[in-house]
Amino acid sequence: MILLRLISWQYARKHVLRSLLTVAGIALGVAVFVGMHTANQSVLYAFHSTVDRIAGKTQLQVWSGEAGFDEEVLERVQAATEVKVAVPVIEAVVSTGRAGQGNLLILGVDMTGDRSLRDYDLESADAEIIEDPLVFLAQPDSLIVTRDFALRNGLALNSRLSLSTMEGEKQFTVRGIMRSGGLTRAFGGNLAIMDIYAVQKIFGRGRHFDRIDLTLGDDVPLERGQAALRRVLGPGFQVEPPSGRVAQFDSILRVYSISLNISSAFALFIGMFIIYNSFAIAVTQRRTEIGILRALGATRGQIRRLFLGESAAAGLLGAALGVGFGILLARGAVGQVGGMLEGIYGLTQRANEIALNPRLISLAFLIGIVTSMLSAWIPAHSAARVDPVQAVQKGKYQVLSAGENRLRRRIAAVLAILAAASLAMGRSMIVFYGGYLLTIVAALLLTPTLALWLARTIRPALRGFFPVEGALAADSLIQAPRRTSATVAALMLSLAMVIGLGGVTRASYRPLIDWMTSSLNPDMFVTPSENLSDRTYRFPLAMRGELERIPGIDHVQSVRTARMIYRGGPVLVIGIEVDRVSRRVHSRVIAGDPERMFAVTAAGAGVIISENLAELNRLSLGETLELATPEGLLRLPIAGITRDFSDQQGSLMIDRSVFQRWWRDDAVNIFRVYLRRDAVAGEVKERILERFRHERRLFVLLNQEVRQYILRLTNQWFGMTYVQIAVAVLVAVLGIVNTLTVSITDRRRELGVIQAVGGLRKQIRYTIWMEAVAIGAIGSLLGLALGAISLYYTLEMTRRDFSGMRFDYEYPLPIAAAIVPIILAAAFLSALWPAESAIRSSLVEALEYE
Amino acid sequence: MIQLTQVTKQFDGKRRVTALEEVSLGVDRGEMAAIVGPSGSGKSTLLNLIGGLDRPSSGEVRIDGSLLSGLSDDGLTRVRRDKIGFIFQFFNLLPTLTCVENVSLPLHLRGWARQKTEERSRELLELVGLGHRLEHLPEELSGGERQRVAIARALAVYPPILLADEPTGNLDTHTGQEILKLVHDLHDRLGATILIVTHDAGVAQSCQRTVTLRDGRIVEDHRR
Amino acid sequence: MNRLSLSLCAAAAISSLSAQDARQIAEEAQRRTRASSQRYEGTLTVTNKAGKTAEKRWQYERFGSHGSSKTVLRFTAPAEVKGVALLVVNHADRASDQWMWTPALQRERRIALQDRSTRFFGTDFSFEDLEERDVDQYDYKMLGEEAIDGAPCWRIEWRPKQTKRSQYTHAVVWIRKDNYALAKVESFTKDQLARRLHFRDIRNVQGIWTAHLLDMEDLRRASRTILKFETLQYNLPLKDENFTLQALRRE
Repeated sequence: MILLRLISWQYARKHVLRSLLTVAGIALGVAVFVGMHTANQSVLYAFHSTVDRIAGKTQLQVWSGEAGFDEEVLERVQAATEVKVAVPVIEAVVSTGRAGQGNLLILGVDMTGDRSLRDYDLESADAEIIEDPLVFLAQPDSLIVTRDFALRNGLALNSRLSLSTMEGEKQFTVRGIMRSGGLTRAFGGNLAIMDIYAVQKIFGRGRHFDRIDLTLGDDVPLERGQAALRRVLGPGFQVEPPSGRVAQFDSILRVYSISLNISSAFALFIGMFIIYNSFAIAVTQRRTEIGILRALGATRGQIRRLFLGESAAAGLLGAALGVGFGILLARGAVGQVGGMLEGIYGLTQRANEIALNPRLISLAFLIGIVTSMLSAWIPAHSAARVDPVQAVQKGKYQVLSAGENRLRRRIAAVLAILAAASLAMGRSMIVFYGGYLLTIVAALLLTPTLALWLARTIRPALRGFFPVEGALAADSLIQAPRRTSATVAALMLSLAMVIGLGGVTRASYRPLIDWMTSSLNPDMFVTPSENLSDRTYRFPLAMRGELERIPGIDHVQSVRTARMIYRGGPVLVIGIEVDRVSRRVHSRVIAGDPERMFAVTAAGAGVIISENLAELNRLSLGETLELATPEGLLRLPIAGITRDFSDQQGSLMIDRSVFQRWWRDDAVNIFRVYLRRDAVAGEVKERILERFRHERRLFVLLNQEVRQYILRLTNQWFGMTYVQIAVAVLVAVLGIVNTLTVSITDRRRELGVIQAVGGLRKQIRYTIWMEAVAIGAIGSLLGLALGAISLYYTLEMTRRDFSGMRFDYEYPLPIAAAIVPIILAAAFLSALWPAESAIRSSLVEALEYE
Repeated sequence: MIQLTQVTKQFDGKRRVTALEEVSLGVDRGEMAAIVGPSGSGKSTLLNLIGGLDRPSSGEVRIDGSLLSGLSDDGLTRVRRDKIGFIFQFFNLLPTLTCVENVSLPLHLRGWARQKTEERSRELLELVGLGHRLEHLPEELSGGERQRVAIARALAVYPPILLADEPTGNLDTHTGQEILKLVHDLHDRLGATILIVTHDAGVAQSCQRTVTLRDGRIVEDHRR
Repeated sequence: MNRLSLSLCAAAAISSLSAQDARQIAEEAQRRTRASSQRYEGTLTVTNKAGKTAEKRWQYERFGSHGSSKTVLRFTAPAEVKGVALLVVNHADRASDQWMWTPALQRERRIALQDRSTRFFGTDFSFEDLEERDVDQYDYKMLGEEAIDGAPCWRIEWRPKQTKRSQYTHAVVWIRKDNYALAKVESFTKDQLARRLHFRDIRNVQGIWTAHLLDMEDLRRASRTILKFETLQYNLPLKDENFTLQALRRE
């Protein structure tokens, strides 16, 4: 401790910039970790708390995917002797249409029974509404809102609020205002209570409920109630405590969470490099000091502890900063995350506050300190090995020994062979990921050798262009591979990651566009909401006939989609008129006979599943798929496997008739509209809008708009790649600034000599600039190479564990072409300040240095 | 050739230290002078000011008639590269460059063509007696040899002024003698103005003139 | 010992005799209200703790007699609830089925009345208070005699049998000795008086003694509801088909 204060603090004070960089390394990693997780958790938390608050006294909830189920199920549930109170619920999210107010969660309940489960604490003046639900029920425009929402929107009792319904814009009347309390904080306070039967009508839900909330008899244990209801209802229903729904939400977000964790791990890894770099350099620079300490009687353990102590302190400080930045980051990202989840999964949440999880924060601190100490481990160890006699002699450098290099190369070769072998060793997840890890470690071990070799290779070129500056810059790299190799390695890893992720992005584009061209080929889509994945509103089937009678329309297909649970994971069920669709759509068939596949499915005797569902669940052609529906277990043989991007975790296509029979639901989410050859899309769109103007809420999306929408979502999803590019650039900057600062300190004398013998400022400047750009170039080159391997692994990971999509290997040249100049520019920019500081430092001191 | 007028140099640290106080000194073309004095008397500071490595707090430094204080940093560098050669106690060779490359450095910095640079460097290394060690790295040379390379580098453009800071300070007596001999030799052959900062009485005595500094002032200026 | 056991037996016999009496009285009271149908126009006035009053009016029709009757209740005022109708189908062996028709939505809904302690649309009656009581579902105990509004009454304790779910632990019912009409009901939860129902303006209509004003007090909420009957008639020629969901939708 005393050593830490006496020695380290002085050193830190003297090398403010380097100390800051070390701390920044940790801060960066922790910030990304905290930021991304907090943003994510805030959205999840908003969902959890909405579920919780809405649940009230509910012990169990009954639901069937998100398709809903017939009203009749309620009677079956109520008839169970274990059940005390069971009430139906529909949840629907609508836009308030008010600027800045976002969405409103409409909770449709049956007021006559619901109070036994939920506490509607109304403001006293209008308490009768709940006491006397008659007035509320008799008028379907009735709405109870939270006090928060009322205040924000200037609503009072009997105020009117306009909401868009299946029958177009409708005025609603505030008939009650809930006092702030548990329930009212659900969905960020944007909650309104409506009569469930009114909700059925205005959202086109027919005679369906989303869910039944229930409490059990006073002495019925949860498990018994659950078992009894499962028996009564069959496999098509989920009977779970409210937390079960949260778990389902989490499983839908699985892919997203994994990507998030990879990003965080990546950022931390990069942070480790920066720290390793800083400490390795510090140890080299402080050899004399260490030597003196050793000569004065400090033990090796003390020296090691000194450096580890320093790293712990840096880790603590970095974690504190990182947590702060992370929270700022989360604030910025939370809206974005919410929006993306809504677009991709159709899950709308209003996360307007940051959920700070104390466990996450403590974890962040722990991670900060531990990663810092881990990365300082090797430098601390080498510090402990410093020989006191050699160290105090001036002007002697311990150079990375040739033997050490050979050892590294040998280990790298062994690892590379192991990695290659692991590829051949089948599907085991551990072996596969282990192989990836081995490859990375091998690449890291080889970095110093490769960097040295590359620096030697480019020396003549640099010398050719700039005889002095070029040679000096290259020499500086060659002279101290240890100084540069950590930065080069960090750059290499960043770039490899960018290439891997970017490559998947690009690889997925073409199949996505192919799919859109072959399957998403109607001229227009008629939907009840702007968002294709939102299934709040539904159309009645009768609308198809009405649409087909509109001049210019040739052909209409009705689609019903709903997310279900299959083998514990989410799957998108698409009920579609297979016969009609097969005549228009020519999707890419992975397995099965295209003709027969559609015929069988249209006849209700088969199911067509998406490639990714097959991949993720290891399903193959001819196997029987068992799907739990509200009407029981539906068994259908897999008639075909096609490439389908409808859902990240897989989709399956059945005939509408099958859906209607097993879900007793003939509502429609989307109408696919094909036009006559001579029809003009714009005119037909107008006609549709005109025809339904006063009776339906609907949107007509032209093919082009849908494509753009999907591409936009895809881009948003892959936006994480850009975050990583940003991190890569940041690493480049931090690492290079660090390396250069050290390089300049190391070479102060050398630079002084050059100036003394007539080197002009600009010559010094050029030398340093070139050194930086050379580091950038070497890192980029190695990164692009490792990227080729990383891309292979990322594609495989995508196929095996993320989305089950199989993409062709294609090196993302445009990304490489874009990222290299960015890195070089960043390298150049990061050299500006060190270069100026080199020029400005006193010549006299430089020459006397040491 | 070198003219210092009322030159004062102070260093501002926690306490203000006056390294030189109103020193006036003139050195003629072709003169060879030793600057002696105890540690901290301001010898090196004086040399640095003359070499344009540092700027005086007050007073004037003129090199070959031009006033240094009016020049920018790059201006100072130009004076250095054209008129002054430096020889350091610790040689200050770049460890990664060969002898030829080290000597070529100032020429490269002046933008000389490679061919010409090469020729001149060889010529200079021959001159200091290292014609056989052209492609060696500094770490492969003995102390004396390194100092010879440093001298060759200082002579790269045949500057009219040579400044040497303890050129023999890091060498054994015998090698020191040799280096001293070389410097005298060069003085005779090239007719350069040479200033040597030294502790070594032998070195000082071998010069035509000895300037003694104590506590930042010239206490003695002795010509032989 | 014999004397003791004898006296115990006697006490048991007496109490069982009086219980028998109490039950008979309850049966008789129920028998005397028997009619094949009933119709009235009701006015409901709720006065809450703060003295604020709200009024509702409805038209009531009942078809069939105790245990298996059906009722339709149609609200006529205030304007917001006009047209809302309730259909209640009573079953002798289980809880009644209830539906509500809301004209604005053009659909009926089943009222999931699992919790019969719920107040009947903002009045001081709970749904349970308005149910027809089946004599067989209670145990009785004669508590004594007492005059209500000047009329001598039996004071009888009604205690729901184990099989019946009730919000109350028991009730004390006053039945007039002269005409077996209910005069007062006090309902208790855990020995705490919860509601007090007073039957007033008891008149003979077509041979049935009928209260024309029901005065219900909720002691916990300190509010009171008065239900007045007008144009009350018994044994009208009503048709079964008017007491179905279809009929509910028609009007």
